Amino acid sequence: MMFIKENFDVASLRFSWHFSKSQLKLKYRYTFLGFLWNFIEPALYLVILSLVFSVVNRMNIQDYAVFLFSALVPWRYFEKVVATVMESIVSGDWLLKKMYVSPIAFPINKWLISSFEFLFSIFAVFVLFAIFKENWSIHLIILPLAILPWAVFGFGIGMICAVSYLRFRDVKPLVQMILILTFFTSPILFSSNVFTPGSLQAELMNYHPITYFAALFQKPLYFLTWPSLLDWIVSFSISALALVSGVYLFIKHKSKFYYYL
Amino acid sequence: MSIFQLNNVFVEFTKHSLNELSLRELLGSNFKRKKSEKIRALDNISLQINEGEHIGIIGRNGAGKSTLLKVLAKVISPVSGQVIRNANKNIVPLLELGIGFQADLSGRENCILAGLLLGYTHSEIEQRMKNIISFSELESFIDEPVKNYSSGMYARLAFSIATEINPDVLLVDEIFGVGDEFFMRKSVVRMQKLMAKGVTTVFVAHNIDFLVEQCDRLIWMDSGTVKMDGNPHEVAAGYRDSATKLKLVEKN
Repeated sequence: MMFIKENFDVASLRFSWHFSKSQLKLKYRYTFLGFLWNFIEPALYLVILSLVFSVVNRMNIQDYAVFLFSALVPWRYFEKVVATVMESIVSGDWLLKKMYVSPIAFPINKWLISSFEFLFSIFAVFVLFAIFKENWSIHLIILPLAILPWAVFGFGIGMICAVSYLRFRDVKPLVQMILILTFFTSPILFSSNVFTPGSLQAELMNYHPITYFAALFQKPLYFLTWPSLLDWIVSFSISALALVSGVYLFIKHKSKFYYYL
Repeated sequence: MSIFQLNNVFVEFTKHSLNELSLRELLGSNFKRKKSEKIRALDNISLQINEGEHIGIIGRNGAGKSTLLKVLAKVISPVSGQVIRNANKNIVPLLELGIGFQADLSGRENCILAGLLLGYTHSEIEQRMKNIISFSELESFIDEPVKNYSSGMYARLAFSIATEINPDVLLVDEIFGVGDEFFMRKSVVRMQKLMAKGVTTVFVAHNIDFLVEQCDRLIWMDSGTVKMDGNPHEVAAGYRDSATKLKLVEKN
């Protein structure tokens, strides 16, 4: 109980919430289209990607777009959370060097902002789905639960990266490379059906963590089925593990943060 | 009643900390076993600060004065030693030109953020906002981003926030050097009022006459240790004495 009181004090959490609101306002204050960018930017990105890769993959564009969007949208959210949470503590030096605040206020702040922007991009995706997607099914209702492991996984990995980045600034390019590698080897751009069953590649796919995370979205949206029990178990346990290790690292090294800012 | 109790507090900084932050340094150190140099900013500090005391901290640059304030403000956790704070007291730091301000946000938004961190709710700060703005004389700039403020404006806003929200303990680091003469007088008067009300204050300043006048206890720090602690006149005399001695040595 002591550690909750120490790290999640009300003042720091209130600060985190209000700081997120101020930053969101600030971000769109000087833009002509303002909040609309939250719809336009992901929509444009998705349309371009689906145009290019449907040609490369020789797939029906409409079909491919639905497949691609379903897992790419949560992946982009995950990637954003990891990248921003990673830098959050280092970029919070303006306050951490002058006033007491639980340093966890900064990772939470970045997580809140990314999550908020993600909610907006969902609207954009559903507009696109309305154009491309022909079959709709009841399985959609599982999506709010399906985003949960993505959100927790992103925060956990982000925290691990934030503490390591504080200690070694080399971590940033390294993490970016790992994210790219993870993305291009995961079944987000291509379906795992492209490999012959039993082949080495198909076998390897079973060991790729993102396979299970992606399935949570691809199955209800593209394959029109429920995610399997295995998908839930694997994704929830991996994300819980990431969260626990992230928070553990954070608490263990918290008192030394000032010296590395 | 004791507000702060420090027992054998050590704070160390690593020299050349820029290299320390790269992965190469970690890998390299396994082979070379190069010991990086440490600087002791606080070297075995033990002291007690009681409620209602007005304390001045003096010493040369790099003596550890600001580090001590940051330890009191909970910004730095000591490498070893124990810091006991009175949990019921509202401790307000005013370190180097103010409280933490986010450069891109407006003065008003920064006020709210600082207030939230000092334990107030949004509406409680809104109530005090008018007083903060009028004392800081920033009426026409309060909605500007603070990055466009001059250092005087910056300090004025910080001082107004810190003194407007009923602090129990004020930690002040060299803020009377900025701002114009008028604001300086105004803020000294306000400080004196707070001190008369029984607010515990810890000042770091180079203006020794000011400290002797305002404080009832002076602490002289030298390379991370407490050299003298007690009656302001005696400590100030001791400090000045050593300064003249130093000058004589340099002349020879």
